[in-house]
Amino acid sequence: MMTPALAKWHKYRAVGIITVKQQLHYRVDFIVRALFLLLILFIFIHLWRAAYTSSGSETIEGFALNQIIWYLVFAEAVTMACPQLCVRIEEEVKQGEVAVRLIRPIAYNGFHYMTYLAEAGLRFIVQLAAGSAIAWAYMGSPLFGWGWAGLAALLPGAFTVAFLLNLAVALLAFWVEETRGMEFVLQKLNFTVGGMLLPLELMPDWLERVCGWLPFQAVLYFPARMGVAFDGGRLAAFLLTQWGWAAALAVLCAFIYRRGVRKLNVNGG
Amino acid sequence: MLALEVEGLVKTFLVKRKPEGFKASVRSLLRPEWTEKTAVAGIRLKAEAGETLAFLGPNGAGKSTTIKMLTGILHPSSGHARVLGMVPWKERAALAFRIGAVFGQKSQLWYHLPPADTFELLSRMYELGRADYLRRRDELVERFELGPYMQTPVRKLSLGERMRCEIAAAFLHRPELLFLDEPTIGLDVIVKRRIRELIAERNREEGTTVFLTSHDPSDIEQLCRRAVVIHHGTVIFDAPVERLKREVLTCKTVRLKLRDGARLLEKLPGGVRAAEAGPSAWRLSVDTTTASIEDVLAAFVGHCAIEDMTIEDPPMEDVIRAVYEGKAGGRPAEEGTV
Repeated sequence: MMTPALAKWHKYRAVGIITVKQQLHYRVDFIVRALFLLLILFIFIHLWRAAYTSSGSETIEGFALNQIIWYLVFAEAVTMACPQLCVRIEEEVKQGEVAVRLIRPIAYNGFHYMTYLAEAGLRFIVQLAAGSAIAWAYMGSPLFGWGWAGLAALLPGAFTVAFLLNLAVALLAFWVEETRGMEFVLQKLNFTVGGMLLPLELMPDWLERVCGWLPFQAVLYFPARMGVAFDGGRLAAFLLTQWGWAAALAVLCAFIYRRGVRKLNVNGG
Repeated sequence: MLALEVEGLVKTFLVKRKPEGFKASVRSLLRPEWTEKTAVAGIRLKAEAGETLAFLGPNGAGKSTTIKMLTGILHPSSGHARVLGMVPWKERAALAFRIGAVFGQKSQLWYHLPPADTFELLSRMYELGRADYLRRRDELVERFELGPYMQTPVRKLSLGERMRCEIAAAFLHRPELLFLDEPTIGLDVIVKRRIRELIAERNREEGTTVFLTSHDPSDIEQLCRRAVVIHHGTVIFDAPVERLKREVLTCKTVRLKLRDGARLLEKLPGGVRAAEAGPSAWRLSVDTTTASIEDVLAAFVGHCAIEDMTIEDPPMEDVIRAVYEGKAGGRPAEEGTV
C-alpha cells in the first residue's frame, strides 16, 4: 500500500521522467546551444588571457586564469540550462493550455518546478560537457578537489532559486498579456549582479555588497564560485542563503499564484 | 444522486477596448478603456449521476467558460456550483481525482512521446496502484483499439487516432463525471461515430456522467439523453434530446450530385423540398417528421444515377434560432430539469 507521501513523490518524479524523455527529442536545440557556448567561451578565454597578461599578475582578486575560465564554464552552463519559463507560461495562458494543467490533481507550480528541474538538469550536463571540452583544451584539467562536490551541492538550490525568480515573473501572465519585458530585465540582472560574467569579488566593493543582498548571486555565483574555489565554511553559508531565498520566493510565488488563478482568463474553446 | 448542481453562475471578464488608429492606440496605452463582457449570465442547472447531457450553444455562448468553472479552472464572478458535492474552484485538486475532461482543441498527450508515456504519467498523477493501472490501461487499449498507436509518437498519429487516445486517457482514473468539450471537432464521420460509441459504452458500463459540448447535432442525437441549450450565457432550452429531435432537429439536408446526363426524380418524395437546384447538383431539404431519411435515400438511390451524396444535420445556429422562435417548447432554466 502506497503512503500519501510516497504517491506524491511518484507523481512529481513521473513529471520529471517524462520531461527528460520529451527533451531528448530536442537534439538540434542542444547542439545549437552547445555551439553557442563554445563560441562565447572561446571569446572570453582570449579576453581574460589578455586581461591577465596586461595585469602582469598570476591572480586577480585571488583567482587564477584557469579558475576564471572554469568559473565561466560553470556559470554559463547553468545559465544556458535554464528553460524559458516565462515564454512557456505565457503561451500556456494565451493558448488556453493552462486548462489542461489545472484539471490535474497536481499543484500547478509543483508541476512546472519538476519540468524545470528535469529540463535544466539534462541541459546542464550537455552544456557542461561542451564547455569543458574547450576549457580543458585551453586551460587544462579542472582539478578543483572538493570544488566539484560543492558545485553539485549548490546546483539544486541554484536551479530552484532560478525557477522561483522566473516563476514570480511568469505568473504575472495571469494578469498581463506580456511578461517578456520583465523576463528580459530578470535575465540581465542575473548576467550582471548575479555574477555570470565574473565572480562578485572582482566587482567594486560597493557593488559586491549590494549583490550580497540580492537573490541573483544564489543562481550563478554560488555554484560557480564554489566549483573553482572550494571553501567548506562558505559552503554552509551559501546553502543557507540559497535555501533561505528559495523559501522566501516560494512564499511569494504561492501568493502570486493564489491571487492570479482567481483572475485567470482561460482563452479558447 | 446529483452529479452537479449549479445556481446563478455568472462569469464576467474585463476586456480592453482597442480603438482603431495610431492616436487612439497611444491614448489606449496611457489610459486604457475596459468593458465588461458577460460570458455566463446566471446559469441554473442540475444533472443526475449517470446522465448524458449535451450542453449546446453557438460560439461564444458560454459553454466552455461554464465547463471551466465546473472543473475548477475558472473562478466565477458570482453564483454557486457543486460538482460531486464539491465546490470546484475551492476544492480543485480533490475534485480533479473524481472528474475527467477532454478539450477537443487542446491535447493532454505529450507531443513527441508515445501515448503510453502519457498514460504512465497520468497513472502517477491520479495515484493509481500499479496492478490496477496496468489492468485498466490494458482494458482501455483493448476497448478503444489503441494497440497499434500506444508506442507511436503522438505527432505521428492522425487526429482521429489521437482523439481516441485522448478520450481513453481521460477514462484512465475512472472519473465519475467526464466533461467533453467538442471531442469530435475536425474528425471524419466514421471516427466520430466510433468515438461516440466508446463514450456511450463507458457511460453504460461504468455509469460515468457525461457532460458534452458540441457543434455537431449528431453527437447529441447519438450520445445524449438530455439537451441544454445556452445562448448569451443563459439556458434557453432544457429538455430530453428526443424532444429536441422531434421539435427542432426535424430537418436534414441531402446534397446530391448526379452523373452527367442523369435526371432527378420527376416528383420529389413527400417531405422533400429542393432548396437549391442545378443541372447536376441538388440540395434537398428533408422534413424528418413526415419522411424517413432511409426511405428518401432509397428512393433516390433506386431511381437516379448518383455520383456523390452527403447528409447534413442543421447547423447549431439553426437549432438555436428554432429554439428562440419557439419551435421547441423546452423548459427554461428557471424550471430546472432533473
